[in-house]
Amino acid sequence: MRAGWLLPLAVALTAGEVRAQRLHPFGGASLANTRLRSQGKNPFTGTGSTFLGEGALSIGRLQLTVSYLQGTLDPDGTLGASRPLVEGTVLLGVRALDWLTLETGPHARAYTLTAGTERWLFWELRARASSAFIGSAVRGYAELWRVVAADVNVPESFDHGQGGEAGMIVRLARAPLEGRIGYRIDHAVLGGGTRLETVDGVVIGIGLSGR
Amino acid sequence: MWLGVLACALGSTPSRVRAQSSDSVIVAGMRAYKNLEFDLAALLLRRRVAQLTAANGAVADRTQGLVYLGAAELFRGRRDSAVAVFRRLVMLDPRFRPDRLVFPPEVTGVFDGVRLRTKTVVIVVPRDTEIPLHEGAFRAWLVASSFQTVNVTLLYANGTSFRSLYFGPIGDSLELQWDGRDAAGQPVPVDRLLLRVASRAPTGELTSMLQLPLDLQISSPDTVPWPAPPADSELRPERAAGGSATRALFGGLLLSAAVVSLPVAVGSHDTPSGPRVAVASAVGVATALGYLLHRPSRPLPANIRANDAVRDTWQRRVTTLQAENARRRADVRLRVHAGDPAAIEAAGP
Repeated sequence: MRAGWLLPLAVALTAGEVRAQRLHPFGGASLANTRLRSQGKNPFTGTGSTFLGEGALSIGRLQLTVSYLQGTLDPDGTLGASRPLVEGTVLLGVRALDWLTLETGPHARAYTLTAGTERWLFWELRARASSAFIGSAVRGYAELWRVVAADVNVPESFDHGQGGEAGMIVRLARAPLEGRIGYRIDHAVLGGGTRLETVDGVVIGIGLSGR
Repeated sequence: MWLGVLACALGSTPSRVRAQSSDSVIVAGMRAYKNLEFDLAALLLRRRVAQLTAANGAVADRTQGLVYLGAAELFRGRRDSAVAVFRRLVMLDPRFRPDRLVFPPEVTGVFDGVRLRTKTVVIVVPRDTEIPLHEGAFRAWLVASSFQTVNVTLLYANGTSFRSLYFGPIGDSLELQWDGRDAAGQPVPVDRLLLRVASRAPTGELTSMLQLPLDLQISSPDTVPWPAPPADSELRPERAAGGSATRALFGGLLLSAAVVSLPVAVGSHDTPSGPRVAVASAVGVATALGYLLHRPSRPLPANIRANDAVRDTWQRRVTTLQAENARRRADVRLRVHAGDPAAIEAAGP
């Protein structure tokens, strides 16, 4: 909850620009080949195809992004049970520069285990850089985030976490459709390094922009 | 005397007399003729015609004076003088014919006899003529007093021959044409020529010679300058600059590096590289494709088409102006100003 002050601050900074601006919606659907590697007392390594849905609303320099990911991670070995995975984010961002967007908000993740549901709640601060590099059709983007607060129901205490995503977006000329391919990774350290949680994967998706 | 009475009977009223001439002395002489005062008429008319001739007076007044003078001389019994006056009249205006309602057959008969024996012509030309040199012609009418042979030539101002226009018989009249060129077909090289008409009797004897000065001026319209070719600022670059290719290349490399090094950036050092390499490879392929599409110096068809349109427009204007200039160069005109004719060998009473 330490990052709770960021939301009102972003709203206050951009409130003047919100007026008289058009609302730009965005929606996208992706398939993500997600891999989880949990190192600790109960190690787990598994992969699975997950569905990622995203939506965004932007007005002026302000934008609100939500995402939802769901899928099942199957263990790499024959032992162990599959882990259903659900993730979601709600991020409020502000475009500080034409190529730089700052975002903050909660990022929740849940694994359904036989012993119960493992819930992770991160408050993150994100910075995303984006720029066209092949004409105006292909944009590259790179995003890094840092967990500024967390609430997890695991025995180990949360130490720190960070993640990132990089990839490219291909926008068809004069069409609102775009395609995306990227690599994302989320890394968390708990219990002074006794448990490492790494979620990464390739995201391939399409989006529809209302711009 | 009966001829005089007849002349009065056929003569005009005083108002008609006034209508025939504006010269008061001529009118007085004509009135004296009507009144059968032939001596007075001859005296008045001879003196006045001499004055008008010296002063190069109006031809109409002189012809009126001469015809009445000739008739008066005839009725005074001085036939030789009448013949001389009529010959002078024919030389002055070969087209002149006495009014047969005014003058009796005795007068017109003598006049016709003189006219048939007198070989002369009059040159009828407009004072100013402008002709296109490539297709036009300067026209002059020769009106003959009677059937004769004429030799029409153009002479330089110093009298040497420039070009022969006609040699042959002429009955009543003849139209002459000159194309404004010399015998070799070249435009006239001088600004003054003399049109000379030599009349000859059937025996070949030179009877009269008339000369008309022609002032010449050749004019050709100025040509139109060509439009300047399209300036560089009007043309778009036809080859791509290297900026886009460089941006694609370095942007793609940077992005691929970011993808590959992302786990290290977030503190995960033992993450499998397969997914990262797959994404980095996709970025690399896109980068290579983008570099090829935006490679330096590649032709830009849209700009080339636009420039071709600009050049075509300029070329069409040049072609139009070339045709216009060709037309103007061909549109050489010759202006001819005719002076006053002069008899070289005058024959008078």
